[in-house]
Amino acid sequence: MVAALALVSLFVGVSDVSPAALLRGEPGAWELVAVSRGPRTTALVLAGVSLSIAGLIMQVLVRNRFVDPSTAGTVDSATLGLVVVMLFAPGLPLIAKAGVASLFALASTAVFLLLLSRMPLRSPVMVPLVGLMFGGVVGAAASFVAYRHDLVQSLLAWTTADFSGILRGRYELLWVAGGLAVVAWVVADRFTIAGLGAEVATGLGVDHRRVLMTGLVVVALVSAVVVTTAGVIPFLGLVVPNVVRLFLGDHVRRSIPWVALVGAGFVLVCDVLGRTLRHPYEIPLGVVVGVVGSVVFLVLLLKGSSRVG
Amino acid sequence: MESPMHLRRPRPTSVALATLALPAALALTACGGSEETATDAGGGATVTIETARGPVEVPQDPERVLTFDIGVLDTIDTLGGEVAGVPEFALPDYLSAYDDAPIIGSLFEPDFEAVAEIDPDLIIVTGRSLEAMPDLEELAPTIDLSVDESDYLGSVERNVRSLAAVLGEEDAAEQALADLEAEVEETRAAGAEAGTGLIVMTSAGEVSAYGAGSRFGLVHDALGVEPAVDIDSATHGEPVSFEFVAEADPDWLFVVDRDVAIGETSGESAEQVLDNALVARTTAWSQDQVVQLDPLAWYIVSGGLTATRTMVSDVADGIAS
Repeated sequence: MVAALALVSLFVGVSDVSPAALLRGEPGAWELVAVSRGPRTTALVLAGVSLSIAGLIMQVLVRNRFVDPSTAGTVDSATLGLVVVMLFAPGLPLIAKAGVASLFALASTAVFLLLLSRMPLRSPVMVPLVGLMFGGVVGAAASFVAYRHDLVQSLLAWTTADFSGILRGRYELLWVAGGLAVVAWVVADRFTIAGLGAEVATGLGVDHRRVLMTGLVVVALVSAVVVTTAGVIPFLGLVVPNVVRLFLGDHVRRSIPWVALVGAGFVLVCDVLGRTLRHPYEIPLGVVVGVVGSVVFLVLLLKGSSRVG
Repeated sequence: MESPMHLRRPRPTSVALATLALPAALALTACGGSEETATDAGGGATVTIETARGPVEVPQDPERVLTFDIGVLDTIDTLGGEVAGVPEFALPDYLSAYDDAPIIGSLFEPDFEAVAEIDPDLIIVTGRSLEAMPDLEELAPTIDLSVDESDYLGSVERNVRSLAAVLGEEDAAEQALADLEAEVEETRAAGAEAGTGLIVMTSAGEVSAYGAGSRFGLVHDALGVEPAVDIDSATHGEPVSFEFVAEADPDWLFVVDRDVAIGETSGESAEQVLDNALVARTTAWSQDQVVQLDPLAWYIVSGGLTATRTMVSDVADGIAS
C-alpha cells in the first residue's frame, strides 16, 4: 500500500514521467527521478515516518495520547531556535542550524515535562492544553522577534512545510531523522516500560531517567531536523499514532512499524493531493496536512472524550 | 437598563465599506490629471487629483507629507519634493537622504504617535498600508495611491501626475513620463523579439512564478515579452516546483531575489537556489539568459518613478546582452 503510494508520488508532477519512459531508459526521465521525484518521495517518507514515531514516543512518555511535538511546544521552540540563528549567525551551514534548533527543542521539551510534573493534572485533557499554551507562548516569542527584525515572511517559510523545493542535495539531513526513528524502534520496549511511571519502571529494572532522556533527544532532534529542512507538519505525530492505537492498542513495539507505515502513507497522500489539486502549482504540504489532520484530530477527540474525560 | 450592546465599541464597518468601494473606484479611475480649485475652508490652496479611489481634493504644496510607501517616496523625491518621515526600512541608495528621517511605522503599520507628532498636512497610503487609512484620516487628509497591478504603467503615470500636481512640479513630471514612455516603447520592440519569458521570485529557498497582470507582470504586459506559460494573475505568485520551471522551458528567466529585497542575505541567493539540474534544462539557463531584476526596485519601491525606470532598464539591459 505505502509502496504503491510511493510509486504514485514518483510519477506525479509537472513534468511527464511514465514508467514506460523509465523502462525505455530515457536519460531525461531517469534524471528527473534522480534529481527531483526520488528525493522528494524519500524526504516525504523520512519526514512522515520519523515525525509519527516521535509523536508516539512523546505520547508514551507523557502518558497522554493528545500530545505530539507540534502541540507541546517542541516545534515552536525549534522555530524560535531558527529565528535566533537568523539573527546572530545567519551564515551557519544547514546542519549547524538544525543543531541549534535541536537544542531549543530539547530545552523546551524538558521544560514542558517539568511543567507537567509541577502541575496537578486532574484531567488528561489538561496535558495537551498546557502544551498548546506553552507552545503558544514560545511561538509568540518567535513571532515577536521575527516581527521586530522583519523576518516574519521567512518565519512563515518554516511554519508551513513545503516540499516543492526538495531536490537532490537539499533533503539529506532528513536521513538523521530516519536514523533516530530506527533507534526508537530498537529501544521501543523500554519506552513502554518507562511509560508505566518511574516507580514501576525502576522496579522492573529500567533506568527511567535514561530512557526518558533518550526519548526526549529523539523527539527533539526529529522535530528540529524536519522543521529545518522542510517546515512544520502539524498534527502528524498526533493523528498517526492515535489512528494506529485504535486498531492495535498501546503496545509500542507492535505499533511502531504500523505508525511508521501509516505516517509515511499519510504524508505521501497529502503531498500528492497538494501537487494535483491546483496542478501545475503547488499547495504546501503543511497546509494539506493541517486541514486533513485537524479534522482527524477533532474526530479522535470526540470519539475518545467519553473514554478519556 | 444597560444592555451589553451599549458597552461594545462600534464595529469598524468603514473599513469593510472602503474595501468594497475600492474596485469600483479603480474602474472609474481614468488617466491621471488634475484640476486646481480655488481655496478650501481653511484658506490654503487645494488641488483635485486622481487617486485609486477617484478624484480627491487635497491641500496644494503641503508642508509636511508622510507616506508609508517607498515607491511614493521615490516619486516625490524624483520630482524634487520631500517627506517629513519614512517607514522603517533599508532604503535604496538614491534615497539615503532619508536614512535619518523620523520613523513613522513599518511599511504596513503606522506608528500613530509618531504620525501625530509630525502633524502632517497630507498622508499617502498604498496597498501595504491601506488598512490603516480610516485611522489615518482622523489625523490628516489621507489619499490612496495604490498601484493597480493589471495596469501598472497607467497607475504609475496617474500617481506621478497626481503627486506632481500636489507639489507643483507638473513640467518635471511630464518630462520624466515622456522619457519613461520612450524607454518603454524601445524595450517593447526588443521584448517582442526576445522569445518567451518566465518571471520567478525566490524566497527562503522556495520559488514562485508570476504571470501577466501580476505584480511583476510589467515584463509581459508593457514590455512585450511573451509569457512561456499562462499563469493566473496572483499578486503573491504561485508556488511552483523546479519541475514547473523546467517544463515551462522559457527562453528568458527573470529573477527577483526576495531575500535581498528585504535585506535577508543569509540564506541561499536566487542564483544558488536556481542552480540545479532541473532549471539547467531550460533554454534560459543553458543560453545564459537569466536576468536578475533589481530586487529593491521590483519588490519594494515598485510604483515609484525612478524605480519604474530601473525596472524597464533591467529588462532592456537583460535582453540586450
